Amino acid sequence: MKKIDINITVGGPQGGGIDTSSNMISRAFAQSGYYVFGVREYHSNIKGRHSYTHVRIKSERPRSLKYPVDFLVALDPDSIFEHLEDVGKGTRIIYDSSIEKADLSQARMIMRDTAKKIKDTLDEGKFPNTVAGAVQWMKSKGAIPLSIPFTNVVQDAIKEGVPSRYFNTLGAALTLAIAGVDRKYMEESIRLVFAGKDKIIEENVRVVDAAYSYCRNNGLLGETLPYIEHSKRFMITGNDGAAIGKVMGGLRLQTYYPITPASDESTIMEEHNYIKWIDSEAKKLKDSGVVVVQTEDEISAATMASGAAVTGTRAATATSGPGFSLMAEAIGFAGIDEIPLVITLYQRGGPSTGLPTRNGQSDLLFAMNTGHGEFPRIVISSGDVEECIYDSMRALNYAQRYQMPVLHLIDKNLANTTDFISLIDSKKVPVMAQKFEAHGLNFKRYNLDTPNGISNLGAFGKDIFWMTGDEHDELGHVTEDSEVRDRMMEKRFKKLETADLEIPADDKAILYGDPKAEITFVTWGSQKGPILDVIDDLKEEGINANLLYLRMFIPFPTKFVKEVLSKAKIIIDVESNFVGQAASVVMANTGINIENRILKYNGRHMTEDEILESAREIIKNKGNKIEKVLKHGA
Amino acid sequence: MAHNFKTDLTVDWCPGCGDFGIVTSITSAMSELNLDPLGVVMVSGIGCSGKTPHYINVAGMHTLHGRAVPYATGVKLANPKLKVLVTGGDGDLMGIGAGHLVAEGRRNSGITIMIYDNEVYGLTKGQAAPTMPIGEQTKSLSKPNIFTRLNPISLALSAGYSFVARGFSFDMKQLKEIIKKAINHPGSAVIDILQPCPTYNNVNTMEWYKERVYKLEDDKDWNPVVSKENISEADAKFTQAMLKAQEWGDRIPTGIFYQNSAIEPFTARINRNVPNYLDITPSEQVIATEAGFTVVDPEKTFADKIIG
Repeated sequence: MKKIDINITVGGPQGGGIDTSSNMISRAFAQSGYYVFGVREYHSNIKGRHSYTHVRIKSERPRSLKYPVDFLVALDPDSIFEHLEDVGKGTRIIYDSSIEKADLSQARMIMRDTAKKIKDTLDEGKFPNTVAGAVQWMKSKGAIPLSIPFTNVVQDAIKEGVPSRYFNTLGAALTLAIAGVDRKYMEESIRLVFAGKDKIIEENVRVVDAAYSYCRNNGLLGETLPYIEHSKRFMITGNDGAAIGKVMGGLRLQTYYPITPASDESTIMEEHNYIKWIDSEAKKLKDSGVVVVQTEDEISAATMASGAAVTGTRAATATSGPGFSLMAEAIGFAGIDEIPLVITLYQRGGPSTGLPTRNGQSDLLFAMNTGHGEFPRIVISSGDVEECIYDSMRALNYAQRYQMPVLHLIDKNLANTTDFISLIDSKKVPVMAQKFEAHGLNFKRYNLDTPNGISNLGAFGKDIFWMTGDEHDELGHVTEDSEVRDRMMEKRFKKLETADLEIPADDKAILYGDPKAEITFVTWGSQKGPILDVIDDLKEEGINANLLYLRMFIPFPTKFVKEVLSKAKIIIDVESNFVGQAASVVMANTGINIENRILKYNGRHMTEDEILESAREIIKNKGNKIEKVLKHGA
Repeated sequence: MAHNFKTDLTVDWCPGCGDFGIVTSITSAMSELNLDPLGVVMVSGIGCSGKTPHYINVAGMHTLHGRAVPYATGVKLANPKLKVLVTGGDGDLMGIGAGHLVAEGRRNSGITIMIYDNEVYGLTKGQAAPTMPIGEQTKSLSKPNIFTRLNPISLALSAGYSFVARGFSFDMKQLKEIIKKAINHPGSAVIDILQPCPTYNNVNTMEWYKERVYKLEDDKDWNPVVSKENISEADAKFTQAMLKAQEWGDRIPTGIFYQNSAIEPFTARINRNVPNYLDITPSEQVIATEAGFTVVDPEKTFADKIIG
């Protein structure tokens, strides 16, 4: 069987049905048994600016995206201009013939700097500054333009509505027809995407029929892709994964203030807040659900979740950089008062508002140091949608067991990655439910006679004790006594040692690949997938590399990291930030300075091809210090 | 034996501080209502008022400056069976924490908020607080105040509080009765408590207040209560309260300005979206099987995320 590996970009104006189009493509491939992996890129804008999705289809689960793409579906002129550099030999460019005359100078939704860059590129090759010119430029790179009269094709098919409203369906259907996906899967996909809206389904199915016959009549129909037997799978994003994991992990109250790219987690949770119990519990438990509260700001989100946690409820919030900055003081309070507070921190490009809808991994050091004073916390990070699920469950366990804030980092790229996973393993991570005994009066919530630093976790409603942001005694009353202060500080930090002893090594860092390999990549977050692909690519070139994948930064797996890195001849740090934050954590803990770096801070995700190219260069240079900054990204 | 609602801690407020009267009013109200001490939570922010929970023998949370309201709301929403009381200064609740105070009015979660209103920031040596009138110069101010006065009663009414009252810390009998009614009120309550600061406010002293305060309830025609039965009078009663709230200076009204039990508490609204929320509160939910695994079926709960 021929190896299927198809990369597709669908672009169009924000609000123009790009997500729907991409969803149709993904579901059609899913119906025929393939795996799809995709990301969504968009501006901080509601309507009009360029947005696109990039999906990769394979018969086995893809882990990254790759350029040049095999299909560029342009639903507007901007999508041709913006993706000039994303095409290569054999890329099929599907676009509406009527946009050919559109001029770059009229494409006002393209950012000025971007337009200038595109203009320079076209001018250099003496191509006109029009869609037609851009298409010619792409053709010169080996791409295959497919100029299709969108309006005519749709108009002849539909019974009502404006033709342009169906361009997203048409684009998807044309792509699938050319890629060789059987029409029936596209129809199934339409029925799923528009479930319950019969009239819309009918019209869209007509458009699909028109697209397939157009391709048949013009010799464009692709050779039919083989059907792959498959079982049920979840199609989820990182946001979905975190929501699912939290609810599975016992979360019953979530607070949030709207912010990109975090709020999707909370709204998804609210949509699914009516919990369905597992069969064995369904008879015992009454119907119940998760409370999701939209607060007035992020200070309220963090403090309200803390208040909820004090009653014995598993509670959390989710935010992104700007909101997280506001939570700093509440995190300190959770630190000194030993509150099991979980914060899912979605990283986007900073500082300040930065790149609000784009990727970044620049909040690691901030998460490790948020708040004034010194207090223990746990900082973890996820790198794929499955980890988002299970790490969210773990975060809730850690918070309760070690009675401290747990900060769970997910980057924007992962938050918006759509991935197919096999069904969720309900027993992979246990739920360490606390049995709250009623202690009543005179309860020493912060008892000092504890060998592991962990005091009795009480709950308001069952026990009488006090909490204060001041240093406190065992009952929780304010103290400025110098000896109690020392003992409380020591007790709180002892919990980190306990956490380090108890948490399994694999939950802190994993070495992927041959342990004897002389080249070691170091990364965290969403670069995990593309690097694993790069390691496979290098293997085909006869180069043996492995990946040290970091999952926990506090407590840090110093011994293991030191062991792995001291064996490597060439170490390459890969991160989506400017200063190499994880590398600096490695340096601080192990003394090992990773000099070779592949960094990216333009807000776009790293792709397999660009990491591979830089890695080759570093390896060729025998590991002499090279810092590569990746530039790709529409 | 009846529960002693006072702790044995040394109270370190200044002699003559109005805060003593507030604590006594709160604990008397708790005793007279015969509250289960395990069913009450006190939440405060920062400042002299922030110390209150430590002096009261129920679960207490002495939180961050300005943030008592959202902490308290979190406690209440996770376990709506608890009675949750907030104490805070005028600067704490209406300066740094004003946004939260307003937001809680819109929620109406069912918490009782007591504002220690003395026009100054006491613990930081007497700076002007939001309730100080323009032009006033207390002894620690080098120049007269150039901010205008925020009216706590008008603010609470505008924010949507369903119970709005004013007490005076040296009239513990009236204050205690107001607190009792506020605790029993289903929605959220704001009680503006006139509380002289003997150390830093030499203008609005106990004597100054005593000469001016009068009780709304002394007027037999004063009726601030709205319920489902007289809902048609809600606008008139709200307007009456707002007008009365403007009275300040030679005569200062105390008592209940507005009390509307027809406004649905936030907890009841959540109960419409979350099955059995009020019955099995988030804090009482079973989250793990006996074997220690999740009770949630992800395939059924998130069924729409499954594809062929």
